[in-house]
Amino acid sequence: MHPHQRELVRLFELLLAAALATGNAGPATPQVNAPPKTHTITIENMRFNPEVLTVKRGDHVVWVNKDLFPHTATADAKNFDSGSIATDASWAYVVRKPGAYAFSCTFHPMMKGKLTVEP
Amino acid sequence: MKMMSLACLNVLVFGATVAGAEGSAPTDPQIAAIVVTANQVDINAGKLAQSKSHDKDVKTFAERMVVDHTGVNKSATELVTKLHVTPQTSETSQSLQKGGEDNLAALKKLNGSAFDRAYVDHEVAYHQAVLDAVDNTLIPSAQNAELKALLVKVRPAFVAHLEHAKQLQASLGKSGG
Repeated sequence: MHPHQRELVRLFELLLAAALATGNAGPATPQVNAPPKTHTITIENMRFNPEVLTVKRGDHVVWVNKDLFPHTATADAKNFDSGSIATDASWAYVVRKPGAYAFSCTFHPMMKGKLTVEP
Repeated sequence: MKMMSLACLNVLVFGATVAGAEGSAPTDPQIAAIVVTANQVDINAGKLAQSKSHDKDVKTFAERMVVDHTGVNKSATELVTKLHVTPQTSETSQSLQKGGEDNLAALKKLNGSAFDRAYVDHEVAYHQAVLDAVDNTLIPSAQNAELKALLVKVRPAFVAHLEHAKQLQASLGKSGG
């Protein structure tokens, strides 16, 4: 996305959040206009690092494979599945739905992790 | 039978190093050849299992061995090229090579569940023996820091493969086939 477009999207999100906040009057939803963060999970030495990660809805999670062969990041309930991530490649996922997601590598099922998504 | 093959493999991996060297550890060029050979032997066995086995779990395991050990060998080859190290054969690498060829010859005579069991039994023993060699001989002997780091980096994969092979061995035992 072009930087200007990104700014426009951000502006739109802020306006939308403001509209929602005034509409709801109550405690509103301050996290709606919090910019999404990017979290990195490194796959190395047959492990996800960190193995347990908590993020906010809308955040980006990037799995980076630093091992010498492919891995996957696959939710046990199949909510997400990276497919094969090659050596030195990465896979990004934007988490939309709050919940707790246990995930593993389908190639090496003993490799496990857990992603918790807060509202 | 399992214990015997494990003992034989230990002799294959260790014996030559200990007997041939009489106290002297393998050099970096020799370690490079041992690593490449050890991976290639397992790739060859995995390819045979991919083509011969009819068991889904065995085929999945075999595919993983081929992919992972190919990845390790690619990195090992890139490293020795970068370090200008020419892998040098030794009694250990030759024993590994011979052991791999003997294993393939034995496996080719088997079919069905007998093949699956023999392949997986050998994978358990082989990964255990290679892991022992990595811990007791190769990592302590490696002089170049990057070569040592590569050995340390691949170790968890051997541990995971051993665990996977043991689980498969147990499930094949239960299935009674």
